[in-house]
Amino acid sequence: MLIKILGTGCAKCNRLEQLTREAVAELGIDATFEHVKEMDRIMAYPVMTTPALVIDEAVKVSGRMPSREEIVGWLKP
Amino acid sequence: MELLVTALQSGLASLAAYLAAHVLLCLVPAFFIAGALSALVPQQSILRFLGPDAPKYVSYPAAAGAGSLLAVCSCTVQPLFAGIYGKGAGLGPAITFLFFAPAANILALSYTGVALGADFAIARILLALVFGIGIGLLMALLFRGDEKARSPMPEAFSDGGIPRRNLAFVGTLVALLIAGTLKVDWLQAELARVTLAWDGAAAAQALLDRLVPVDELRGAEGLSLQGLALIVLLGLIGAVAWRGLGKVDEGFNRLTAVSLGLTFATLAFAALGVRAGSEGLGITVTVRTLAVAVLCGLLLPQARRFEAWDMQQWLWETWRFVKMIFPLLVVGVFLVGVVRTFIQPEWIQAIAGSNTVLANLAGVVFGVFMYFPTLVEVPIAKMFLSLGMHPGPLIAYLMADPELSLQSILITSAIIGKLKAWTYVGLVALFATAAGLAYGAWVDGMAFATLALMVGGGLAVLLLALRLIERRRPC
Repeated sequence: MLIKILGTGCAKCNRLEQLTREAVAELGIDATFEHVKEMDRIMAYPVMTTPALVIDEAVKVSGRMPSREEIVGWLKP
Repeated sequence: MELLVTALQSGLASLAAYLAAHVLLCLVPAFFIAGALSALVPQQSILRFLGPDAPKYVSYPAAAGAGSLLAVCSCTVQPLFAGIYGKGAGLGPAITFLFFAPAANILALSYTGVALGADFAIARILLALVFGIGIGLLMALLFRGDEKARSPMPEAFSDGGIPRRNLAFVGTLVALLIAGTLKVDWLQAELARVTLAWDGAAAAQALLDRLVPVDELRGAEGLSLQGLALIVLLGLIGAVAWRGLGKVDEGFNRLTAVSLGLTFATLAFAALGVRAGSEGLGITVTVRTLAVAVLCGLLLPQARRFEAWDMQQWLWETWRFVKMIFPLLVVGVFLVGVVRTFIQPEWIQAIAGSNTVLANLAGVVFGVFMYFPTLVEVPIAKMFLSLGMHPGPLIAYLMADPELSLQSILITSAIIGKLKAWTYVGLVALFATAAGLAYGAWVDGMAFATLALMVGGGLAVLLLALRLIERRRPC
């Protein structure tokens, strides 16, 4: 599973990455993380706002902080 | 040596007056509102009006709305700007958004209103709105043929609304801010008065007056006994909130409740009238006290209707804003107090004492070359005002300072290109000067209708001229 966090390095983006990592560890999933910080790469996704969570190239959430339950829901196969 | 002591004393005095007078009833609710806007208002709810197919009369006001509601912190400004420009409504609304965001977000506005007066806050938001939309339209017109870099993506602007309870919650917070700061008579009407017998009250106040002298000419406000108590309470809140709010995203802890309770109690205390007299402390309960207490009380049942996660996010975001902005503001206010002792009022009055084109330009140039962190422009403006700067040039400075910093110029030129970015800078300088002149003329007594006619006429002529130039150019 490829997980991308889109964000320019703001506090919220780091928090989202931390939450997602925790959820991944909890579920015991094998996942690769990437924190995308370049503006033009972020803008290639259909998002307007950061932080955004992209799982296997599908945007799951953008512009707000999802709760841990939501993240777990997206990660479950 | 004596100069140094005076300077340090002036710095501390300005800090003390700032903490006691401005922070509580204005900035504390404003921080909570900023947190709520960031955590509880889904950005999609405003962004859906900024899609590539949105008509102009929708997208420009929506861009301004996005600027004041969503962009409280610079880390949202950059992606939003790039997104509106690249995928959505285009260059014009993106520029409007960029221009409006720093001048009209809730923190800047409420702080301006309390430190400089409501008329400055209203002038700031109105002028930023008019000129922000004007500059956006101009830029869109100037670079009309240049839309290649854009790749409209309507799917990024899907629907979404704001749940009603979120609106009600933010509304209550805004009401709290207004009730705590608005200077109208009926809010100050007296409901009850008690006198606490304390022989030392007058002496204690006299001591404070000696330590923090009141100096109307230099804009030093002094410090009251109530102010001193508030500073102590503020320190306490800070100490408790460090864990209580800073760790709230891991779950509510006992300190969360303590810090919120303390904050509300402090807000209510700040809204009391306290006067030290010869027979003791006279304490008056006004309509304001009651309003602040009732509104704080109203927040609790509303908060219970949210999911815990939403409230945790709200408090976490609030604390994040405090941690990000407050230290810079404290340092800034202190330094402003120090610097104030070195500036002669005559200098300011000679350069910007009256509402001339040159004075307004001076305000703009100072704003462009001095880069102050968010909100520090307000105490600086207050210092200039007390030193005798005319309100016109002051508004010109307030418009130019947050809009044009080296940092914002670099970001914009990376996203929209150097030519567009520097055109934008030139336009902002031009329009900020015009805004200062307009406000200055109004303060000097020019009729509103005449002024509106002149500003509107000037904009219309500019747009017409551009249209004509564009037409002439062979395609």
